[in-house]
Amino acid sequence: MTDAKTEVRSLDDPNIWVETPATIYDAIPPYPPRTEREAEFYHLRDGEMLLNLGPQHPSTHGVLRVVLKVDGERVTDLDPVLGYLHRGVEKLCEVGDWHIAISQCDPLEYVASLFSEAMPVMAAEKLLDLEVPKRAQYIRTLVWELNRISSHALFIGWLALDLGGLTPLLYGFIERDEIVEMLAALTGQRMLFNYLRIGGVNRDLNHDFLSRLGDWMSRAAVEIEQETRLLNENEIFVRRTRGMGVMTPEMALRMRVTGPNLRAAGVPFDVRRAHPYAAYPDLEFDIPTRSEGDSYARYMLRVDEIRESIKIIDQCLHEMPDGPIMARIPRLIRIPPGRAFVAVESPRGEYACYAMSDGSDQPFRLRISDPSFWNLQSVGEMVPGNLIADTMAIMASLDPVMGGVDK
Amino acid sequence: MSKLHDDEQFEFEILADLCGVDTGTEMWAVYHLWSPRTPDWLRVIVPGLKRDDPRVPSVTFIWKGAEWPEREAYDMFGIIFEGNRDLRRIYMPPDYTSFPLRKDFLLADDSARSSGEGFRHVEQMHQPAENMRQPVIRMAPQLGDNQISTLSQLPEESEAPPT
Repeated sequence: MTDAKTEVRSLDDPNIWVETPATIYDAIPPYPPRTEREAEFYHLRDGEMLLNLGPQHPSTHGVLRVVLKVDGERVTDLDPVLGYLHRGVEKLCEVGDWHIAISQCDPLEYVASLFSEAMPVMAAEKLLDLEVPKRAQYIRTLVWELNRISSHALFIGWLALDLGGLTPLLYGFIERDEIVEMLAALTGQRMLFNYLRIGGVNRDLNHDFLSRLGDWMSRAAVEIEQETRLLNENEIFVRRTRGMGVMTPEMALRMRVTGPNLRAAGVPFDVRRAHPYAAYPDLEFDIPTRSEGDSYARYMLRVDEIRESIKIIDQCLHEMPDGPIMARIPRLIRIPPGRAFVAVESPRGEYACYAMSDGSDQPFRLRISDPSFWNLQSVGEMVPGNLIADTMAIMASLDPVMGGVDK
Repeated sequence: MSKLHDDEQFEFEILADLCGVDTGTEMWAVYHLWSPRTPDWLRVIVPGLKRDDPRVPSVTFIWKGAEWPEREAYDMFGIIFEGNRDLRRIYMPPDYTSFPLRKDFLLADDSARSSGEGFRHVEQMHQPAENMRQPVIRMAPQLGDNQISTLSQLPEESEAPPT
């Protein structure tokens, strides 16, 4: 090591700050623009300025950095900068075996991690052409829907928090905590469950889980009402969400938005219905759709989805078949060569996975397509024209999770 | 792609996924398409892209939402999508020079590899940077082709419908 590293410098020395070179991470790049879009964005017209938001901003839901181009109080353009949470999960999946890939994919969507961990599991099952036992399918459906409710409950709280209301967040956390505790009784973990296995699930339903679930189900509908009553007709909330960030069906398809955001724009597409998996073909449920496409529609749609999820959980519990929870497969498994594409409907949209296997015990390629990543880029079309304060509200109404965006 | 999207026979209006693949010998661009009204699905593979200069036309003129996934495929594989207006790196820092998901990019620690499969390699040592303020650019170790794990024969299409 050189002496410069061990040299002690006084903080009073003004040069200590000056010496640090301007880096490429600054808002205005010192290098020539590399793309057409970058040249357009970083060219400021009269009266415009750049405003940096994040990456450590309390309302960006993680480490998202957005460079806003503002004209006074209006946002004219924005450039999201990703990668602050990039871990290279796809690469890590390639160097471990298929079982390790499950726990690697777990923290992708850390709010509803049962969906992201389903990806390598379902891809491997499809490549093996494996029939998962009926009971395991129902248990999966049950925990997925519970996780969906906990995620949506938290979404409602976050959205209200970004609009300046603290109380709904607390109500949201009450719901989430109930569900998380109940899933912890089942899976042993509160957040990153690591519950699904290739061929089934890790543990069978136990008494603790079922009693908590029954207890919660008896008052779930009332509690959801209580939580949403704070917001549904709250004047501040309605005025700051209705007509904000409007998405037309054409735009939603063009921007390739999925999940509740797509259905709030009026396109009734749901992977559970279009390409059914697990126990969904046997269950009866509706696909709520809204036509307005604004933030309020996206909020109301998620409230409707919570009600549908409660219905699905009810049916799962009533029709829960007996039998094994794991298919009979060897512990050290070699997946036959092939390619498979699987998708599930997560609380944020279509969680998809394209897996290639070369016949070894490791995935050759495990592409994971996260809905938050696809949904988030539509802010580039929705936000311009709105106020700075509404930027985060519109972004929150899309419900991105940065763990999935940055992979 | 335009025909698949617009033609009334197909109407694949939803781009389910867009990704790059490195088979070890060549690059692919893989698209999955869905129809919002029918349960049809389609996989479109653009095979045979050259490893040293993979180029493929962009689909951003149909789905503007393909812009970020194309940036991701560029970042991870170096596939150049001609026509994408914003083909920058999306995850890795702008001064990064290698493409991490390529098969010739090896991780420093390969202990997670199970024994008997794959290969071991000697980590390339970096010279200590003279000026620690300069970013250390981590290059992929330059190895011969025989050490790159490749798909010896491309796997067959799986017959089962998508779940």
